[in-house]
Amino acid sequence: MSTLQEKLSKFSIFALYGVTKDKSSMRFRAMLYCFMVLIVYIPLIFTTIASSVEYGNLLLQEEQDQLYTNAQGAKKILEIFMEELTSSVIFVSEEYSYEDLLDQSTASTLLVRLKKLYGGIVDLGVIDNNGIQKIYAGPFRLNEYDYSDQEWYNKVLVRRVHISEMFMGFRRLPHFVISVSHKLPGRDQYWVLRISIDGKTLEKYIATITTHTFNDIFLINHSGILQTDSDICGNVLEKCPLFVRPAKNKITVGEIEHHDIKYLKATVYIEGTPWILGLFKESYMHGEQYASFCFRLKVFFIISAALALVIIVLFVNLFANHLQKIDKEREIAMREAEHTGKLASIGRLAAGVAHEINNPLAIIDQKAGLMTDLIDFSEDFKYKDKFSTSIEGILDAVERCKVITHRLLGFARRMDVAFEHINVNDLLREVLGFLEKEALYSHINLELSLADDLPTIFSDRGQLQQIFLNIVNNGIDAIGEDGDIVLITSQRDEETIEVQIQDSGPGIPPELITRIFDPFFTTKEAGKGTGLGLSITYGLIKKLDGNISVQSEVGKGTTFTVSLPINKTREGGFT
Amino acid sequence: MNEIKLLIVDDEEEFATALAERLEIRGFMPETAFYGLDGVQTTATFSPDVVLLDLKMPDMSGIEVLEQIKEKHPAVEVIMLTGHGTGKGGADFIERGAFGFIMKPVNFNELLEKIDAAYQKKISGSQAS
Repeated sequence: MSTLQEKLSKFSIFALYGVTKDKSSMRFRAMLYCFMVLIVYIPLIFTTIASSVEYGNLLLQEEQDQLYTNAQGAKKILEIFMEELTSSVIFVSEEYSYEDLLDQSTASTLLVRLKKLYGGIVDLGVIDNNGIQKIYAGPFRLNEYDYSDQEWYNKVLVRRVHISEMFMGFRRLPHFVISVSHKLPGRDQYWVLRISIDGKTLEKYIATITTHTFNDIFLINHSGILQTDSDICGNVLEKCPLFVRPAKNKITVGEIEHHDIKYLKATVYIEGTPWILGLFKESYMHGEQYASFCFRLKVFFIISAALALVIIVLFVNLFANHLQKIDKEREIAMREAEHTGKLASIGRLAAGVAHEINNPLAIIDQKAGLMTDLIDFSEDFKYKDKFSTSIEGILDAVERCKVITHRLLGFARRMDVAFEHINVNDLLREVLGFLEKEALYSHINLELSLADDLPTIFSDRGQLQQIFLNIVNNGIDAIGEDGDIVLITSQRDEETIEVQIQDSGPGIPPELITRIFDPFFTTKEAGKGTGLGLSITYGLIKKLDGNISVQSEVGKGTTFTVSLPINKTREGGFT
Repeated sequence: MNEIKLLIVDDEEEFATALAERLEIRGFMPETAFYGLDGVQTTATFSPDVVLLDLKMPDMSGIEVLEQIKEKHPAVEVIMLTGHGTGKGGADFIERGAFGFIMKPVNFNELLEKIDAAYQKKISGSQAS
């Protein structure tokens, strides 16, 4: 799976952008790929197979119908031909009397005339009531031949008119016989008129029926002996290995396999003859039409499969990346909510602690103050200076504690926010006014790059001052000596303005950047910073429905970006 | 100016007495009360110019004490001392008649200035009336 995944990911256009994929996301992608491949390919394969089968059935049906029509036509033509031939023989036997025909010259003339009508007629004979051929007109010497034990002779005596199967007979050549029997006048005995037709005639006649729509046409007798040559089954008078009796009075169509080739066959009895007509056609599977269809189907399948694969890869990547993005945003939102919650609870805790500490601190402060007063108003005594400096140390420490507790209380304070329309450019100028001196001492250059058309925003002046004071102060502290701080204002969109505060300080290492808004997080040396400045700033900005982000590069500086809504969006804040 | 009579009302005795002593050194006439009710009564008997009033006491809240003092002795100026958040920026103290407020631990010089200012106000108020 993983190798497939690797291969697939090579096609991914998103892979080019180096979208990070962790393990679970890879697993999700792999699952999605499998799922999509199943969803797309199972119906595709099914459709392809079904199309091929359905098309085959259609072709088969069409070919069966065509073969049926061919067999019907051929049967009719053969029946008409044989009927005409038989009618001619009957006509002759009725036109001429037995005595007339016993004349050799009459018989010879008759043969010539019949031959003109039907080219295949070979000879003509008149046979007496004992089965002896009395008159023979034709190329062989068959006078006085005894036919009494021949099958066809016995049959014609019974049936009056008889068409024989193909046989070799005395002449040793394949031929068939049409014979008619007539009663001798006044006697219960029969004479027979016999006309033999060359086997080749039948073949030639059948050949005229042949079209390109089938491969082989032949005649066969009821016991499966070929009556004409067949391309597939063998030569005349051989046993046909594929013989199956057709149904009575019906064209029977079926499939048969011979030498690994599938054939469609149609068989039908030729009425009034001892023959069965056989038509063979190679199955559609061996035809060009089907081969070309199969080729096109394969091409279609390959193109569809490739196209589907491309779409799957694009879709899976798009979908997975989108999910990943949502996931990341959710994570950020959760972290932010957690951060805000943390601030709120720390705020409450801090306020409680600050208040409790403030009272004893006030006592220390006053007691130490009193001690200073007393020392100041007393005359010199031993260690007076030492007492003075020690008490000053106590008062300094109290002052430091006071800064912390007052900030904590300020942080936790729930203030009514006084909203008014504020020109942020002016506000920033005021803020820089407070800090100019401090910056001057530290050789820090403060610059303003303000957008002229910046809209006024509806916000709280005091809190905005506090926010920017904190951030710029932070920048001044970060730089220390010699550097620049640039304040840039701009309108981000219809609802938001942006203030960027860039400093040329040492920058924040990436591992610390996520913690800078945490309460009590400071990089300043102990006693110099409370770690509350930026977290208070963060809290105030959130209260004003704004946002703050930070970009920093170690050695180059830090940029804080504060975005503020132009109109107040909601009642916000926390304690 | 050092004739100013001050009343310090705070349940933290140590704080109140130390502050009183320091103010006394500077020539003020301070008095202390460690309970809200005591504060109200002492205001009546001592009639201070300025009261320094803690916000949070066990028996009464500073706000209540403020209201009672201002009700009975409207001329007395009250400066609130708070150990915690200043509520609505101290606006509710002013609304109830306080002169001002200072956060604990107090900056002593700031306190002296505030007391002076309150006293000036009281004097000008009484002259006017």
